[in-house]
Amino acid sequence: MIKYTIKRILLLIPVLFGVSLVVFLIMRVFSPDPAPVVLGEHASREAMQAWRNAHGLNDPIVWQFIDFLKNALTGNFGTSYYTNQPVMKEIMARFPATVELAICAILFASVFGVLLGVVSAVRKNTAVDYASTILALIGVSMPIFWLGILLIILFSGTLHILPSTGRIQPMLQPVGGTGLYLWDTLTSGDFEAFGDAARHLIMPTLALAMYSLAIITRMTRSSMLDTLNQDYIRTARSKGISSHRVVKHHALRNAMIPITTVIGLQFGSLLGGAVLTETVFAWPGIGSYTVQCIQKSDFPVVQAVVLIIATVYVLINLIVDLIYAFLDPRIKYSKEEG
Amino acid sequence: MKKNSIKKISSFLLAAAIAVSAMSGCGTSKRASDAESGTAASGAAATLKDTFTYAQGADPRGLDPAMVDDGESAKVICNIYEGLLKYNKDSTEVEPGLAEKWDISSDGTKYTFHLRKGVKFQDGTDFNAEAVKTSIDRQLEPKVTDDMPYSSFVFGSIKAKTGVKEVKVIDDNTVEIDLFSPETPFVKNVAMVMAAPIVSPAALKKYNNNLNEHPVGTGPYTFVSWSKGQNIVLKRNDNYWGTKAKTENVVFKFITENSARVIALTSGEADAIDGIDSTVVSQITGAGDKLFTSEGMTINYMAYNVTSDKFKNVEARKAFSQAVNVPEMVKSLYKDYAVPATSIMPSFMNPNTNQVKQTSFDKNAAKTGLAKAGIKSVNMITYSNPRPYNSVGGQVLAEAIQGYLKDVGVTCNIKTYDWTTYKDVVKKGDYDVCFYGWNGDNGDPDNFMNLLDNQDPSMNVARYNNADYHALINKGLVTKDGAERDKIYTQCEQKAADENVWLVVSHSKNLAAYSPKVSGYYIHQTGITPFAGVSVSK
Repeated sequence: MIKYTIKRILLLIPVLFGVSLVVFLIMRVFSPDPAPVVLGEHASREAMQAWRNAHGLNDPIVWQFIDFLKNALTGNFGTSYYTNQPVMKEIMARFPATVELAICAILFASVFGVLLGVVSAVRKNTAVDYASTILALIGVSMPIFWLGILLIILFSGTLHILPSTGRIQPMLQPVGGTGLYLWDTLTSGDFEAFGDAARHLIMPTLALAMYSLAIITRMTRSSMLDTLNQDYIRTARSKGISSHRVVKHHALRNAMIPITTVIGLQFGSLLGGAVLTETVFAWPGIGSYTVQCIQKSDFPVVQAVVLIIATVYVLINLIVDLIYAFLDPRIKYSKEEG
Repeated sequence: MKKNSIKKISSFLLAAAIAVSAMSGCGTSKRASDAESGTAASGAAATLKDTFTYAQGADPRGLDPAMVDDGESAKVICNIYEGLLKYNKDSTEVEPGLAEKWDISSDGTKYTFHLRKGVKFQDGTDFNAEAVKTSIDRQLEPKVTDDMPYSSFVFGSIKAKTGVKEVKVIDDNTVEIDLFSPETPFVKNVAMVMAAPIVSPAALKKYNNNLNEHPVGTGPYTFVSWSKGQNIVLKRNDNYWGTKAKTENVVFKFITENSARVIALTSGEADAIDGIDSTVVSQITGAGDKLFTSEGMTINYMAYNVTSDKFKNVEARKAFSQAVNVPEMVKSLYKDYAVPATSIMPSFMNPNTNQVKQTSFDKNAAKTGLAKAGIKSVNMITYSNPRPYNSVGGQVLAEAIQGYLKDVGVTCNIKTYDWTTYKDVVKKGDYDVCFYGWNGDNGDPDNFMNLLDNQDPSMNVARYNNADYHALINKGLVTKDGAERDKIYTQCEQKAADENVWLVVSHSKNLAAYSPKVSGYYIHQTGITPFAGVSVSK
């Protein structure tokens, strides 16, 4: 198990190298020149040239990449071209917002997805099953952007019961904590702020979770149906075990392996930044910020964000694999199997 | 089994709690309001009362006036800092700011500013001549850095021997600024929100010459906090030397999406919003909110590449311009939220250019002229996104002109690029016609008219190069404000119109919306939003 984990962590190296190479080439080769964006419309051509020289943008591309790798290895991602602030500071100011939204969305999608999936499988071809199929179809097909706008129009524009944008009212905003507002306000006992943060989270969570909810529901349904048709389930039933116990302890636990994979993958992609949701709800996360930086050719930020997201994604996949062993004791990450 | 599960779940929760607590250091946090005042969380009292909430499209680039060049920064900065001079509320004429009065030497190279006494920065230090010198000197060689985008525009360059030569402290309340050569626009530059505002020398020292996140000026509002991507909070400066701000707190909210900003206004989450376009006007007025419009300091134009084979001849350019019914097109594209342009400069700027005669719409003449010039197709390049001077974007405008030209038998081949790429493409000059625009900086006619005399092809996209025009621009630069200077720029306007270098399209309007509870809100022609006179009724 330990060997397997170390091996997987070591595999991060080629993955991150590949990711950095691709993002580096895309940014440096295909992105417009950042000098006019940074120096403004009044800058002279000489000033722009001097700026490019100072930032190594006139060096051969290979040297630029080696410089970037050297700095990245020491955790130095440089400063943002546009704001002149350290890249990590800019990212960490926004990453907790993305993490908080992703956690809420995946929790919502997992709990309701698994629940709906199980009910659909157990009550196959009934009204409940059809309703969950339609919901899943809507969740997969409806663009997040449109769903977000609809939610805003209904809950903010018409009913006036939920705030349409942002994370919390400015004066209730917790400072100096983790940046996860629900946690920060709860641990400091500021329940008014906690309530406000929770209200701000409802609509973005709903919009963001819809797609994952649909996928998890369908995956749970098919996995459960598959398991419920196994011989051991029939044996359990014939032994007189209650239907509830069969579903919960015999079927669901075995069906959870593919579901866990899907949840893990969904969580990884949500952490990558939900650009559309963040844009619609003015959610100050990493996704919409990265898009702004791409538009401004702010190379250091984009490269750092992509590397961080890739690392998180790979680590989440690793955690998911490790959870398999917890779910199914038959799985062992031995040398032979690894 | 059950016991095991409970054990597992509780260990997991405990581990998670420890991990998150470790992330937060001590595991507790304070409210922004409490952290500022140093008090403990104080219940409902902390919700903002007497607050004006303003929603704009993006975070500022920064809050150090020397280090920014964007409109979003200017809107915040103009409430925290002040310059030696400021613009009149209704025009771009200048009036006293931190300087009570100013004298200009007869040769136009020495500006003496007599400073207001008893003014303090928001950090409690004194405003004086030394502070003025520090604010300007940091933007001149050898101290200027490459992250100061407006420094050379406002103060010039010692290396290039333009603009400010030296700043001299005469006494605590008098400062003399010597220029290399007379530059009449300098007095307008001093009133700008970019580069020109005076910053606290003590703060510069404390924050390593960068006030982007720690702004300290003398203005009516003091900076409280900036949560990136979320909001900036300002508080009334109770030690302000002038009339105190009417509202205690100002919150700038950043909402990228246009429609989300509108809903924030109509649902009461914001008291005023900007960056909107005509498509949302009925939604805003339908909800009982109000619109603010004023003519902006912009020009939206189509430029002929006068070095291209097709348009090197003035008659060909004239015929092409005659094919386009500009007033009709502007009305159709921008509804009532842009003014058809009859000159390069907006109508509120001096000199008044009413008498300038532009080429007018004449379909038959266009047909004849274009046939005579042998023009059957032209290569157009344009930008995809909306710009401050063109709310519908360059592609929509290009397609409208393409339609007019089709009527006279000319095919326009349009290539569209995103804005950043577009600027690179324009530099290469491989086009017959391109679309561009200009946001005025300082309200001086030179700022608009010298675009056609600029040697940089990314500024002078028509690539116009005319000795007479060059002479006029140089003369205007050194001529004192008054009738003679007005005449020079009127001549420039007429020359550009006669030679059909541009097809001037429109001047955009500043369009914003606000709640009926708000009074005193306005956007200045330069695009800034001073909030000291804004109040919100309960």
